[in-house]
Amino acid sequence: MGEKMGQLQTTVFLERHLKLGAKMVEFAGWNMPLHYKPGIIQEHLAARRRAGLFDVSHMGRLVFRGSGVLAFLQHTLTNNAAALEVGESQYTIIPNSNGGAIDDAYLYRFFEDEYLLVVNAANRQKDWEHFLRSLEKFGQVEMQDRTQELAMLSLQGPLSKGILTRIVDSAQLPEPIRNSLSTTSIEGVEVLIGRTGYTGEPLCFELFIRGKEAVMIWDELIEQGAQPVGLGARDTLRLEAGLPLYGHELGVDAEGKEIPVFSSRFSQYAVSFSPLKGDFVGREALWRQFEAFKRIKKGDYSLIADLPRLIMSVAVAGKGVARAGDKVFADDSHAGYVTSGTMVPYGIWQGKALAGQLSEEKGMRSICLALLDSELRDEDEAEVEIRGKKIQAVIVPYHLRSEAPPWAHPILLDELYKEQIPLRRDQAVKKKVGFLLKKAIENTIWRQKECINLIPSEQTASSMTRMLCIMDPAGRYAEHKQVKAFYDLDVFYYQGTDFIAEVEELLEGELRDYLGCTEVETRLVSGQMANAAVFSAMVDYFNIADRKIEPRRIRRVLNHHIIKGGHLSAQPMGTLRDFVARDPKTERPAVVNFPVLAENPYKIDIAACREIIAEYKPELIILGKSVTLHREPVAQIRHFVDEISLDCIIMYDMAHVLGLVGPCFQEPFKEGADIVTGSTHKTFFGTQRGIIASDYQRDNLRWPLWEAVRRRAFPGSVSNHHPGTLLGLLMAAYEMNCFKDQYQKRVLSNAKALAQALKESGLNVAGDPNVGYTETHQVILNVGYGKGPEVARRLEDNNIIINYQAGPEEEGFTASGCLRMGVAEMTRFGMEEKDFQELAQLIRDVVVGAKNVKEEVAGFRARFTDMKYCFSGKEFDAVMEKLHGII
Amino acid sequence: MVPKELRCLQTHEWAKREEDSGIITVGLTDYAIEQLGDIVFLELPAVGDKVTKESEFCTIESVKAASDLYAPVSGEIVEINESLTENLELFKADPYGQAWIVKIKAEDIAEFESLMNAEDYEKQLKG
Repeated sequence: MGEKMGQLQTTVFLERHLKLGAKMVEFAGWNMPLHYKPGIIQEHLAARRRAGLFDVSHMGRLVFRGSGVLAFLQHTLTNNAAALEVGESQYTIIPNSNGGAIDDAYLYRFFEDEYLLVVNAANRQKDWEHFLRSLEKFGQVEMQDRTQELAMLSLQGPLSKGILTRIVDSAQLPEPIRNSLSTTSIEGVEVLIGRTGYTGEPLCFELFIRGKEAVMIWDELIEQGAQPVGLGARDTLRLEAGLPLYGHELGVDAEGKEIPVFSSRFSQYAVSFSPLKGDFVGREALWRQFEAFKRIKKGDYSLIADLPRLIMSVAVAGKGVARAGDKVFADDSHAGYVTSGTMVPYGIWQGKALAGQLSEEKGMRSICLALLDSELRDEDEAEVEIRGKKIQAVIVPYHLRSEAPPWAHPILLDELYKEQIPLRRDQAVKKKVGFLLKKAIENTIWRQKECINLIPSEQTASSMTRMLCIMDPAGRYAEHKQVKAFYDLDVFYYQGTDFIAEVEELLEGELRDYLGCTEVETRLVSGQMANAAVFSAMVDYFNIADRKIEPRRIRRVLNHHIIKGGHLSAQPMGTLRDFVARDPKTERPAVVNFPVLAENPYKIDIAACREIIAEYKPELIILGKSVTLHREPVAQIRHFVDEISLDCIIMYDMAHVLGLVGPCFQEPFKEGADIVTGSTHKTFFGTQRGIIASDYQRDNLRWPLWEAVRRRAFPGSVSNHHPGTLLGLLMAAYEMNCFKDQYQKRVLSNAKALAQALKESGLNVAGDPNVGYTETHQVILNVGYGKGPEVARRLEDNNIIINYQAGPEEEGFTASGCLRMGVAEMTRFGMEEKDFQELAQLIRDVVVGAKNVKEEVAGFRARFTDMKYCFSGKEFDAVMEKLHGII
Repeated sequence: MVPKELRCLQTHEWAKREEDSGIITVGLTDYAIEQLGDIVFLELPAVGDKVTKESEFCTIESVKAASDLYAPVSGEIVEINESLTENLELFKADPYGQAWIVKIKAEDIAEFESLMNAEDYEKQLKG
């Protein structure tokens, strides 16, 4: 109280802070809560354990508009503002011309023509003046300070998403990817929400609300269980997350020298040298720092003069609290200074990995960030001079990890460099061998006789198929190539290959019949490899006319995002990486994703899809998913592509559904697919391999693409194409062609029966009830955000094998809230609709009732150990015995 | 509220004379503890250390800052409360009992007698 307070700015939440008994302090000219009654430590833990609510309205909010706004932002900020689509945000820095930072900031694009820049409270005046000066050089740009009229709240922590979901009117939270934005409303009040934050919590939200209505939003959030957190814990949380604070890790160091922007490890995400930016403030100095940074990462210190020190995370191993300004020594010489440090609390986790549980117990640890000589590395020992005494410390890569939502996980020094207990490898070899054989038998009996196997990508091959896999061609080579000098005849390099040559030819024939096409390549040993060979073939094909220059990659791909069930191999972080070009605008792989229906995220929004194809003009469209409940709209996509005469390859990665090809599911080539790839071991009966197919003929303009596919299979992908499993695959192909009609009908009917029965037992089945929840072999169950791994474990303990799966709204696999099941394998063992109905009850008993039904499940499985849809019976007994005998 | 029989320093340490001995027990007042916020670290001196009246003898750390503690009398440290360092919550729970910090054998007991009493300490807090 008193006259001093009268000069300070206050946020709209002041009354709430006072009412809660907050300890108020002055911060950058604002009257802000340092902490509330629980204190900094409890508030820090509340954010990590539940949900913390922070009043961050003291931060500056500047809005930029006008026809010249993009050019202005590109010039005065370090990141590539042109990469921001509406609904995206980015970390950025306000640079000076020397390679230092005036401030760090976040740029949000909630609306088409408006950019919102959030800056540090302490620098708002300085930033404003800097922008005013810069604006003089630009026309058509309008800048407004919206700090007073727009309030800002931060909601962070594992329960934050649940809280927000309960109170937003239209359930339109931003996509579960950091930096995504959305406009929504709470109690009719417009709220802008970003998945951003300063705590390291993977579930993070920042809300922008008009001042007058903001207090109501605060009250709603508190009512839903959010706990108010003050600036004290805001600082300890960001320190633990390793995030830079201007004035400590950016700005000026303890010796008064400017800290280079690239000293902070987050700056690499904030600085762009995209040609779209053109020249910008500090570009030259930043470029030099970036060159030094890249080399230092590889252990090359030739440019270290441009980046002599880096901000590193340091864990204090001895007793003491490191504080900003404390000197740090390495190898007895002065190596730098602490930039931020204190004691922080952490919740104690019991158990490991996905089975871990956060207890109510806490520990405390002394950590800091320090600006240290760039040659220092993780695990290096150092000493921090705390109050005159040298205390032992260790450089660590991080203090916290955020990639396993919904929690942030503290990384403790003692655990990080703990020596792993070695596996038992010291036994005598005979004992090891005996042990291995015994275990292999136990495992096979368990999976094959006692478990219900419902993992959709798995299958058991028939005994005949499996026997053939281990026959002689296994272990041999059978490399062959078509030679034009011999009219494209396949020439084999080795002797002893007549048998396998014939097998391969027969296999291609069976698969051509099965798929209804002209060409099949069978030398791939997995579905992912098949996809890689196709991508490689496309790159080869695009560059066919000029082999001298650096080959150009695929310019634009349309695929399913992994979050929406797309397969790993179609993702830029998966197989697609080396084959897709970078989009110069976004500086990321040039991939655009299929839009999905709001009411059914498992289905492509075909109308929106048409617009996307017209706008982005992909060269490759990859259909097919690993979480799949519907047919893919191949015919419609073909129609859109042809409509605009787009030169585009439509590829259907049928991995999961290859065994369902036919009139009751899909006939890809009839519907207009150019290329089909598939795993031969999911719904298809085969051994674990991959195939590529097309319906091109020699006179087709795209025939050279097919020839490229052949080449990128061999010698592009394999030398040895595993002739053993190739032999087995031929048997499996005979089985498929013989039994497909009955098998496919049964699979599809069983899936619907399982889905319906699970639904009737009270479980939450995903998908469209109008089509019986599924059109494929898969059934998806929703078990609650983050509960997937635990329920999957429980089912396994009861001999029911399914997999936990992240749903379309989940941030990552550790937060999985779904279970994924497939009926193909058990259908092969003779289960029918009524059996799946019975199974549904057992599943329910485990999922909801938490009962132990392991014995019952084993008993249930015992009824289904005879494989159907294969060749069996007395006529084959003699030859099977002979096969067994010659192994 | 500081127990009436204790003496205090302006710097918020409390001192208690053990019966008729020359041993002075030292701790922190609840006011200081409240001001500090969450206490995260306490570095005790060693038994045998010599201390001087109104000189720092110990450091206590909160999340935001380190604070020095000042000796109420000159003398020698004869006992330290080691278990307190592992149970810092005692400061909030029992500041005048289990959260005693050190015991000093006073050189000159008159120094203790000249310390401000609890009532005067509380008064000057309000003023």
